[in-house]
Amino acid sequence: MNSPFRVIGKSFPRLDARGKVSGKAIYGTDFAMQGMLHGKLVHSTIASGEILSVEIEEALAMPGVYEVVTAADIPAQRYGSFVKDMEVFASKRVNFVGQPVAAVVARTAEEAEAAAKAVRVEYKEQAAVFTTEDAVKADAPLVHPGWQEYKAVPTVKRQGNITNQARLVLGDVDKALKKSDRVFTHRFVTNIVHPGYTEPRAAIAHWADGKQLHVWSNTQLPFEAQATLAEIFKITPSQVRVNVTVIGGGFGGKLRLGVEHYAAAAALKVGRPVKFVSSCEEEMTAALPRQPLVIDLTTGVTKEGKILAKAASILVDTGATSGSGVGVASSVMLMLAGPYKIPNLRLESRSVYTNKTPTGSFRAPAGPQGNFAVESQMDIIADALGIDPLEFRLRNIVREGDLAPNGQKLESVSLEECLLKAADAIGWKDRRPEPGRGKGIACAWWTTTSGSSGVYVKVGPDGQVFLNTGCAEIGTAALTGAAQVLAEALGVELGSIQIVSGDTASTPFDYGAQGSRTAFAVGNACIDAVGKLHQRMKEIAAKQLSAKPEEIEIENGVAKFGDKSLTLKEIAAIAQTSQGGLIAHGTFIAPPTLHDKERTENMVITAINSPSFHAHAVDLSVDAETGEVKIHDYVVVQDVGRAINPTYIEGQIEGGVVQGIGQALSEEIVYENGIVRNPGLTDYKMPTAMDAPNIRSFIVESPSKVGPYGAKGVGEPPVIHPPATIANAIASAVSARIQTLPITAEKIVRTLTEVSETGK
Amino acid sequence: MTEVQLDLTVNGRRHRLSIPAHYSLLDVLRDELELTGTKTNCLEAECGVCTVVLDGKSVASCTVLAAQCQGRQVATVEGLAEGAALHPLQEAFIEFGAVQCGYCIPGMIMTAKAFLDENPRPTRESVREAIAGTLCRCTGYQKIVDAIMAAAQRLSQQGERA
Ligand code: FES
Ligand code: FES
Repeated sequence: MNSPFRVIGKSFPRLDARGKVSGKAIYGTDFAMQGMLHGKLVHSTIASGEILSVEIEEALAMPGVYEVVTAADIPAQRYGSFVKDMEVFASKRVNFVGQPVAAVVARTAEEAEAAAKAVRVEYKEQAAVFTTEDAVKADAPLVHPGWQEYKAVPTVKRQGNITNQARLVLGDVDKALKKSDRVFTHRFVTNIVHPGYTEPRAAIAHWADGKQLHVWSNTQLPFEAQATLAEIFKITPSQVRVNVTVIGGGFGGKLRLGVEHYAAAAALKVGRPVKFVSSCEEEMTAALPRQPLVIDLTTGVTKEGKILAKAASILVDTGATSGSGVGVASSVMLMLAGPYKIPNLRLESRSVYTNKTPTGSFRAPAGPQGNFAVESQMDIIADALGIDPLEFRLRNIVREGDLAPNGQKLESVSLEECLLKAADAIGWKDRRPEPGRGKGIACAWWTTTSGSSGVYVKVGPDGQVFLNTGCAEIGTAALTGAAQVLAEALGVELGSIQIVSGDTASTPFDYGAQGSRTAFAVGNACIDAVGKLHQRMKEIAAKQLSAKPEEIEIENGVAKFGDKSLTLKEIAAIAQTSQGGLIAHGTFIAPPTLHDKERTENMVITAINSPSFHAHAVDLSVDAETGEVKIHDYVVVQDVGRAINPTYIEGQIEGGVVQGIGQALSEEIVYENGIVRNPGLTDYKMPTAMDAPNIRSFIVESPSKVGPYGAKGVGEPPVIHPPATIANAIASAVSARIQTLPITAEKIVRTLTEVSETGK
Repeated sequence: MTEVQLDLTVNGRRHRLSIPAHYSLLDVLRDELELTGTKTNCLEAECGVCTVVLDGKSVASCTVLAAQCQGRQVATVEGLAEGAALHPLQEAFIEFGAVQCGYCIPGMIMTAKAFLDENPRPTRESVREAIAGTLCRCTGYQKIVDAIMAAAQRLSQQGERA
């Protein structure tokens, strides 16, 4: 291969690998401090009601116990992303089973746990609501009776249990549906799934002199944690320092505060460092799982297979707080419209409170839900029209220069290539190779989240380069990717780069490890820093070589003037003795994605930034007797713009697909009257190595104008398509079209029995 | 709290400890010996991040009563490398991109170690079966299987040469 790059495009091992394979990496659960105590939470046992009393005497008298902390110990303060509806401990009322009411601090975690059971909370139980359909009724009990007093961003339109009602409108849907040859309406229902990171959320907090809060945690977003903790404790952000430990997976589940606020509240009261680690049960009942959606989707088509209009009504169940569900309700509309060219749209969504676990931003927050609806229905329509599903997609997909549903102009559109490659790889021509066996395909687009990034790049006198970033490494190796960008641009070897990350006091601001943006944004900030470093190098070299800075050429990290030259290392050594070292502050902010604001109403997310395109295809068999699904082959074609590190891109694809297979086939947090019925890993079934298929990844490189060397976001897309792809293949294999996730063996058998009974 | 005396050898080093009778092997490793390379999560033998090798067999240390490990040999991830030289499994995990967040990796590697000691010439299928008790949420397992297969080959070549 003739790559013009030295470092980009090569599968170097990640820079933090050695510590991780030798057991030396210190994760959040491992971190400890001298004098540290342990905290455990007391949880609400009812779904809705007033707190009458919290009895702590018995708990306080138990062995090892130092303090019991409640809402009375901290400022009365609500916080939240779009609507400020959360509080650290329930103060007056609770609105889901599992909600923290108090915390016990003791010498050991075991003692704290025993004492937490002895805290008696008395409630006056009130009516609760568990489904969005019930919650939007006019006479529904209010999850937050005081909702009108909560502060919220101005974009949202709230009413009772509804935290936002947003719309995306284009053209005239009613007229277009009338003109359509066929109109299809279906309901799709998705499941509530846990991100499933293997390391529970953990934090240690310590107040130095009662005014400076220092937190170590496995958060994905140290700067957001800093800001939220400052808001909660009514101090300034600079009074809070957050250091990120090594993180055992995040997938969006560690974006918002996990246990940092409990640790901080407890540490404030006892005056010593306090550590909190979520138990498995707390993870399953009170973490931040994916929002379940109910999507009613109507599509009008011509008999030739042209989509004329789409209408949808979407209910997003955010659980007891709105969290990022308000964002999901917006971004799902961008998913539901496309990746197709549709002249008429009327998409309406509502994010809604229920008395269940608050939800969060699991990897590609609205992706799998929206894609399951849109791509399932595409197949249903294709079958009804007698058109091959691949062909039906090709007749409607967006191409270079087309407008997205929000009116943004699409560039670097590789969707057709992705679809054709996926179809080819899976052997699409033979779509039903034998009875009980079938193939499925699905496609999507996804955004590369914007937000600002800063890096300090510092070169030591030995030529070692420090990449100092406020972004955390959550496991994806995206910071190794950013380091590859830095090595490429600076003209050094990857091995000479060391990463320092995630310390709000000493690393520059970064919007953080979320939204497929890390390598993209941190990489771009590195390129900016290299430009500045080169300028400094020229100035220093010019002095040494008796030249003008503009006469100096920089090539592979060496400053040259005629036949004289100075290496980066030599320049850094000179800079160290003469001007405080060689360092540059690189920054990046993605340019705004222009779109038509007329089409969007009350949407808090309105654009798809540097969109990536992708298609998945699967070949599977279904055992009609048992409903068991066996995946023979799984193919992913993903446009990454530019592959910075192919091995870790494959890693994102393989991991994302298996996570998506979990959502498709087996995972669901099951509630009964607001109580989680499967609060442990015995009954919450994530795919094991036996369940995971071999996955074949094909990388497409259709460069973006914005990303470093053309890169687009990589991390989230692979989790989007598996539910739809698998649902389509199952329908093709055994004529069971299942529109609710997960598609369990039971559901398949039940559907097949119904089909044969109705003689369809 | 009743304490029991425990005589335990971890990575070749003998420890004589007095521990609460109900402690799990994981508690002893992480809390008493401060060997945090072995990870903690579900505490109910479902996730496998706490896997260590006990007398040659891989076990979920969170559900093994420490008091039952009297006089026994435990191997953890911290004992695999020899000085600066990583074990072939550790090297292969790095080389094949099998490490993402890494939290499952100590358990995976110790599971693989016990498995390969008994099955030096595995198939991909048998590797998948062997590691099915350890969850990995990041990698989708494929590169972990690649790494274990490669390590198996290197280990058996080393064995032949020795
Ligand atoms: S912590 Fe032991 S198996 Fe999960
Ligand atoms: S590498 Fe993260 S769980 Fe396996």
